[in-house]
Amino acid sequence: MIVASFLTPAPQAQIGEASRIFYYHIPQAWICVIAFATSMVFSVRYLRKKAMIDDDRASTAAGLGFLFCFLATVTGATFAKVTWGSFWNWDPRETSIFVLLLIYAAYFALRNAVDEENKRAALSAVYSIFAFLTVPFLIFVVPRVMPSLHPADSVVDENLRFTMGPTVGTIFGVSLLLFSLLFLWLFNLALRIKKIERARLERSL
Amino acid sequence: MDGNYVALAVTLVVWIGIFFYLMRLDRRVKDLEKRS
Repeated sequence: MIVASFLTPAPQAQIGEASRIFYYHIPQAWICVIAFATSMVFSVRYLRKKAMIDDDRASTAAGLGFLFCFLATVTGATFAKVTWGSFWNWDPRETSIFVLLLIYAAYFALRNAVDEENKRAALSAVYSIFAFLTVPFLIFVVPRVMPSLHPADSVVDENLRFTMGPTVGTIFGVSLLLFSLLFLWLFNLALRIKKIERARLERSL
Repeated sequence: MDGNYVALAVTLVVWIGIFFYLMRLDRRVKDLEKRS
């Protein structure tokens, strides 16, 4: 996938070579949405069942969502430098992703501010649910409602028709699949580490 | 096109590095799980 992303013709001829970042930037942004949604689902589950494993899952997913959101911001800023001339322009897309990063940074600030485990889990679960409500608005609505330099029809056009040709579509699909597998691997690994830490803590008490 | 080869080489090194780091971490976690 990596070799194909650099050695096949650029996905958007009018943008040129910089459009190759599309194979990395869009899957990162997509995984960020999936991760924040996962965090919200496990937060709801925590509030219903009060199982600490669900809090671990919610916070791990939020952490990975933040990581992928940050990577999407960095790759987006690199694209902006090449095509628009500067890393940061306060374009609606840049502003909305920056606000999203701040919202989830506050989630971790909240978790660090509360010592009592059950209280921390309950508060952060409620926060995570409200935080996710802003995600579709900030990622999908704001950049489409306000005038933006950001390419809007890289995946689908305004009639929701797929805009990619077969080669670009295949490389993009494989990239999306590999980023999803990477997310699942990281999620699984982080949860296993948290489980070991929890077992050690319980043994030491 | 030469620039593409340089970017490809850097990207490959970074991703292969991340992959091997995660493989090693996964193996260490597996060992810790067996011990505990």
